[in-house]
Amino acid sequence: MNDSQLQPLDATLPGTVLAAPVTDANGAVLLPAGLALTEAHLDSLRRRGIENLTVVLAIDAEELARRREKLRLRIMHLFRHTAEDPGSQALLHAILAFREGQMK
Amino acid sequence: MTPPSLSEMIGRIHGLPVMPAVALEVLDSMAGADTDIKDLARRITQDQAIAARVLRVANSPLYGLQMRVASIHDAIVVLGFSAVRSLVLAAAIVTSLPAGRCPGFNQERFWRHVLGTAVAAQALAKPLKRSPEPLFIAGLLHDIGRLVMVALYPEHYTRVLDQVGEQDCCLRDAEQTVFGFDHAAVGAALAGRWNFPADIVDALAWHHEPERGTPDGMAAVIHYADAISQALDLDGAENGQMPRLHQKTIDGLGLDWQKLTEVLADTEARFNSYQLMLG
Repeated sequence: MNDSQLQPLDATLPGTVLAAPVTDANGAVLLPAGLALTEAHLDSLRRRGIENLTVVLAIDAEELARRREKLRLRIMHLFRHTAEDPGSQALLHAILAFREGQMK
Repeated sequence: MTPPSLSEMIGRIHGLPVMPAVALEVLDSMAGADTDIKDLARRITQDQAIAARVLRVANSPLYGLQMRVASIHDAIVVLGFSAVRSLVLAAAIVTSLPAGRCPGFNQERFWRHVLGTAVAAQALAKPLKRSPEPLFIAGLLHDIGRLVMVALYPEHYTRVLDQVGEQDCCLRDAEQTVFGFDHAAVGAALAGRWNFPADIVDALAWHHEPERGTPDGMAAVIHYADAISQALDLDGAENGQMPRLHQKTIDGLGLDWQKLTEVLADTEARFNSYQLMLG
């Protein structure tokens, strides 16, 4: 899982990954989310007058583990009275796996 | 401070703000009444507060539209009448039913939970091969009894909230202790009084005890949708807690792991758009 941040085009280096598509004033997509920017892309955006980009901000393994544990504890807090109930088992395990999957 | 009886409480509902006429007409049209779609669309458009909230959601990434829709008429053309009237009903209910003043009651969290339950019910419709619209409405209204209790008897409801805080019990148990009945009973009585369709009344009455509802009715689905909204933490209430789930009912829905996971993802995606309505 990665965070994103809005940053000036001038502070963006080649290799940075877009977290959101870049659109022009009419809403047309110029570059899609997930694209690793090259120098040529950056030049092209500069020529089109784009000033800011939403880019992927990588986080380290330690921070990821901390967030994962926080989320797990939150789910267990919500299930604090029902975690052992037979009727809750499917949902509890599905939500834990679902959140785990979102962290990857 | 003697608590009111259920009939006393229901007798006072005339003191509550009424639902906008548009919302009642939308409900009628859902119940199969003969409705002039063009005329209804025109009237929805006249209620700017509702129309603006509907358009905010219609233009969200959920629907993936290539162009912005700028009017209710366009939204109906692009998304279909059924999708738009669900949005209209949600917007009408959210804008028109204030909770009044009750210390400790967080109205925004209430609506987040309600919208979460409504979209979870919608998401469950697909794997359960049910019609999404009635489930969405039942989800939207499932806790309406709570809003009535809060609005008409804020002092009593503060005691309910205090008890939840002190004992970490569920809201429903505290309602039973303070009032002698819970929000499900109030919601069902209110829905009956407002002549809501019988299947909605049944879902409101039995969403916490689905084994007592009409077999194959909506109570079982709302029972699970309520829990899914809570498990996804959509209201973000610090001391939120899962409702107890009735095992036979959950097993009876027959959702395997993959389908349940898809429902969770679908619910969250829908909620991210629908919550724009609350802004």
